[in-house]
Amino acid sequence: MIRLLLSHQWKEATRSSVWQKNLAVNLVLGFFMLLLLLYVVVLSAFMDVIIEKAWPDKDPVAVINGALLYYFLFDLAFRFFMQELPVLGIQPYLHLPVGKGKLVHFVLWKSITSFFNYMSLLLFIPFALKVLPEVYGLGGAWMWVLGLFLITLINNFLTLYFKRQLVEKPLVTFGFLLAIVALATLDYLNLISVGAASGSFFRALGQNPVWVLVPVALLVAVYLLNYRFLIAHTYPEEMRISKQSKVGTSAEIGFLQRFGELGTLIGLELKLIMRHKRPKSTTMMSVLFLAYGFIFYTQEMYTKGFAMLIFPGIFMTGFMMLSYGQFVPGWQSAHFDALLTKRLSPYTFYLGKFWMFVPACTIAYLVTLLYGLMPGSGGKIMLINTACFLYNIGVNTFVVLYLSTYNKKRIDLSKSASFNWQGVGASQFILMLPALLLPILVYLPFGLMDKPWWGIAAVGIIGLLGFLFHRQLLGIVVNRFQREKYAIAAGFRQA
Amino acid sequence: MIEVRDLQKNYNGVTVVNIPALTVQKGETIGLVGNNGAGKTTFFRMILDLIRPTKGEVFSKGENVRATEDWKQYTGSHLDEGFLIDFLTPEEYFAFIGKLNGLTTGDVQAFLDRFRDFFNGEILEQRKYIRDFSKGNQKKVGVAAAVMSDPELLILDEPFANLDPSSQIRLKNLLKDLKRQGMTLLISSHDLSHVIEVCDRIVLLEKGQVIEDMKTDETTLKQLESYFTV
Repeated sequence: MIRLLLSHQWKEATRSSVWQKNLAVNLVLGFFMLLLLLYVVVLSAFMDVIIEKAWPDKDPVAVINGALLYYFLFDLAFRFFMQELPVLGIQPYLHLPVGKGKLVHFVLWKSITSFFNYMSLLLFIPFALKVLPEVYGLGGAWMWVLGLFLITLINNFLTLYFKRQLVEKPLVTFGFLLAIVALATLDYLNLISVGAASGSFFRALGQNPVWVLVPVALLVAVYLLNYRFLIAHTYPEEMRISKQSKVGTSAEIGFLQRFGELGTLIGLELKLIMRHKRPKSTTMMSVLFLAYGFIFYTQEMYTKGFAMLIFPGIFMTGFMMLSYGQFVPGWQSAHFDALLTKRLSPYTFYLGKFWMFVPACTIAYLVTLLYGLMPGSGGKIMLINTACFLYNIGVNTFVVLYLSTYNKKRIDLSKSASFNWQGVGASQFILMLPALLLPILVYLPFGLMDKPWWGIAAVGIIGLLGFLFHRQLLGIVVNRFQREKYAIAAGFRQA
Repeated sequence: MIEVRDLQKNYNGVTVVNIPALTVQKGETIGLVGNNGAGKTTFFRMILDLIRPTKGEVFSKGENVRATEDWKQYTGSHLDEGFLIDFLTPEEYFAFIGKLNGLTTGDVQAFLDRFRDFFNGEILEQRKYIRDFSKGNQKKVGVAAAVMSDPELLILDEPFANLDPSSQIRLKNLLKDLKRQGMTLLISSHDLSHVIEVCDRIVLLEKGQVIEDMKTDETTLKQLESYFTV
């Protein structure tokens, strides 16, 4: 059975009309991963040496043991944004004599193959084999590694659960995140010590194999949590309509009506976002990403420079546009034929998208202005973010919409969102690369000439120019769209 | 109204549509019949510029449909669920289509009142999204939306399929009304008696080729039945 499902998945991937495109993306992704893994293994092999150099008076094993829980907290945060959830179109199997449980187990086990789960093994096995046998004996060393791997898996399933809950019950996820933040704060204030707990746990693990039962029990619990959640969500999206709608009244967003046809199109798209879990979660993620600046702005090594501040600037003011926009027009694949045959020109269609992105970026920009309150570098951050914002609405809108004409993969929004998460993870960042790297390339020559403010100004001015000439730029997008629309429509018709 | 010149569509070397010439006059009502895979839907999609023909052109009012978008102004169409926006309620969908066609809220309301009979109380005020309706009711929404702009040309793919018998009769009457108003109709159907009743001209497709093109009269049904009998 599992073999059959695997073969179906393989066929689904290879027979889709976008296989070639995904292949390129996956190759790029794969290359970077290999490189990263190589670094990780080398780092691991020399970890004891590095630690001895950094803290000559401390025992490397104790340092690592104490740091491990911090590492896992970081791992969890990292996964939350980067890990893709495993996908299986379960609808066609539900009426067949295959237990729902089997399908759910399949989806869950598939997640174990995620690259993120092997990261910690590669990071610590060479170290463990080199250093630990002397301390804990060979058996103890392997127990230590086993415990480590089990905690990695716990992180894996925690991520899956809370990432899915983000849509179903956002409060649960926010509560969990708050708990983590509270833990970190308590640790920071020295009220409790995560480091001490971590140190004693991993020492105990090395000395007495019984301790491995702790992560085993936790893993079983979190696996069951996922299992119960998914089994309850095998039905297509259930959404209630709270109030009865009359033609032309209620549900219409009055404000938008003032903008005529464009307003109608934007209103339609907002309904699409509000009424489907996937685009909704994409939008919610972009709210979370507004806190991304804290990672950069609290480090002096970043705030001293310029290039590394452009990156969060573009990212925060444009995340909503970048993450939602890269699937345009796939979100509308189910009614794409309607859009092509109704009285609606492709130009208006794209103009509507443009005028949806601009306010989204503007709102994000206004929020990021709060970073101006950061002591020391606040003013600089505000200016850079202003330039990045202009660049986003002037150039990146256009980049995103141009790339959208390469989108030929149907997104089925009416299927259950809990199983349908393709593209919410690392691979979406690959597609953002041009949007993130181009502004840095614009800045770079000025930076090298030691005129950083000129570079920032250049980024802003190019953005402003792009915004002023958006009609012309959109014209280029529409021309390409006109050529590609048959292929796009054909791709979208593939169920 | 519609002129087809040397139209061909091939998929992987197999010709699915091959129509050297076909002309539809204004006000004509044409029924397209043929077995599954005869190329009816593909033909419609090429008229609506949804599929790029391998060869040849379709002209609507003398203009190549691929060159301009003027045909959208006077063409109403419903082929399948892909023409519906399934996360809207029917009311919202009609309002959306109305907006695109420059109708006021009052116009849309008046239009829907005319359709109250056809909807049979199952479409409006249901507190359901279109995706949660049955296939038949979805079809009613699609047909109504296609007619809403009061188009000169109406293209429907199997409008009778999935409808209950009374709805089929209501739809037939509706189409006859539209015909009387002078609307040009292009309808495909597997229901021979319905399509003959509505249409003045029947075009029979087989493997993408027009093998019969005739005016309807008393003997048409017999002729078609003998063709389709296995």
